[in-house]
Amino acid sequence: MTGGSSELALNIQNLTAGYPGNVVLRNVSWQVKKGSLAAIIGPNGGGKSTLLKTAVGLLTPIEYTVMELLGRSPKAGRKQVAYLPQQEEVDWAFPISVLDVVLQGRLVRQGIWGRYSRADYALSRDVLEFFGLGRHADTQVGSLSGGQRQRVFLARAMVQEADLILLDEPSTGLDAQAQHELADLFVTLRERGKTIVAATHDLNCLTECFDHVLALDGQVFVQGKPEEVLTEENMVRLFARHFPKVGASGEVTVHD
Amino acid sequence: MIELLLEPFQYGFFVRAFVGTGLVAVIAAAVGTFVVLKRLAFLGDAISHTAFTGIAAALLLGISIYAGALVFAVLTALGVVFLTRTSRLHDDTALAILFTGVFALGVVLLSGSPGFSGDLNSLLLGSVMAIQTREIVLTASAAVILGLIMVLFYHRFVLISFDPVGAEAAGFPVAFFQSLLLTVISVAIVISIQAVGVVLVVALLITPAAAASLITQRLEALMLLSSVFGLLASFCGLYISYFVGAPPGATVVLAATVFFGLVLGVQKLRGV
Repeated sequence: MTGGSSELALNIQNLTAGYPGNVVLRNVSWQVKKGSLAAIIGPNGGGKSTLLKTAVGLLTPIEYTVMELLGRSPKAGRKQVAYLPQQEEVDWAFPISVLDVVLQGRLVRQGIWGRYSRADYALSRDVLEFFGLGRHADTQVGSLSGGQRQRVFLARAMVQEADLILLDEPSTGLDAQAQHELADLFVTLRERGKTIVAATHDLNCLTECFDHVLALDGQVFVQGKPEEVLTEENMVRLFARHFPKVGASGEVTVHD
Repeated sequence: MIELLLEPFQYGFFVRAFVGTGLVAVIAAAVGTFVVLKRLAFLGDAISHTAFTGIAAALLLGISIYAGALVFAVLTALGVVFLTRTSRLHDDTALAILFTGVFALGVVLLSGSPGFSGDLNSLLLGSVMAIQTREIVLTASAAVILGLIMVLFYHRFVLISFDPVGAEAAGFPVAFFQSLLLTVISVAIVISIQAVGVVLVVALLITPAAAASLITQRLEALMLLSSVFGLLASFCGLYISYFVGAPPGATVVLAATVFFGLVLGVQKLRGV
């Protein structure tokens, strides 16, 4: 993946990241082309979330040489970036309707000042229809299913006119049906020119819809096309130390 | 009956108390909706206690007690925003140590203050029957400003309450609006202290909002209903205070608590 940085949605070189006193990721270099569907996989603690959070500026990087979002500095690029946090980081009990969540995409672009225009409402309703949520516009968002909540947030990203959408464990808590619907939606969004980057536990539908996979194990374990990355040998090595091992005398140990 | 209800209104002090308490009850209840939804009751308590120390310091320095209370309250609120953003403050312990310590300092300051002629009770439990027209004008101005801020930034306060992480990732000024919301809460607390005092002020924020939250899941309706409950509680509380002779701060909070209990009871009966 070489080329001018204007073709890149995400460009990270030599990133070391983590929390104060706890380095999670070392020396990560990763480039994602605009219009691709990229997955980040790896064991728990491998740094999937840390990479996403650092990329969108929620975590301050410890060290890096290049960090670009959509060919611009992270600060300048962020307005075109939507980040869908893990489920537990959102206050689903908050009394807010689906339509109001989707409208928030406009707030993010406006910053401190500005009011919703008629056009904002019209756009939000159109996008809700597009995502098959039109009849849920007035529903309290927390009462929707996990798959519907993801779609509401993707709708908000569309209203925000985000070009790069990052998702942290979007398939957690979804049944197989909802997972496939989400994957289909990713493909639809890519057709509309969006770049999708998802950290995921779920290895099932990776080959079907993603075109790039980054495997993290505290550093870059391997990256490339799904069929190159998702070999049995790679997966065994990547996840091996997380499988319970049964010793000769029958004792079970788990390294993590 | 009507005559009995109108009787207290022949006194100027009661009319002033009526207007003053009603004003702060409405604004505190509306602002309090966010306090309840974001489970910030504990922070409200901390702010009211440090505001007390601000009042004590102001008396010692001979400046306006509102200015003193405001400075301490806002500093507490902003300090908490700063702490939670930098050190991921997990437990309430640090905050509890800090605000009780500051409160104790306030009591010590107050006892050594030559300018303090009133009694501690009026600060702790409020002294709304002694409220002056000038103070009502001040309170009303503050209430109008707070109301304007809430209307103007309503959707932004909702955004940072609902999904602060996603908002921050997209470059939205989350810290600014968190600070603004907590400042609004602080000012609401400071203007309510005159009515119900330091100890009970947090009830004016959370009890009406909590009662309203049992009834509706729509935020606009919740804020409106919360304000109505706050207003009703302040009127009933003042009447009780007038006829029974109990401190009005206490009777207002008691009335709010009874409203909450009634709503809860009705909801239980209806099996909601």
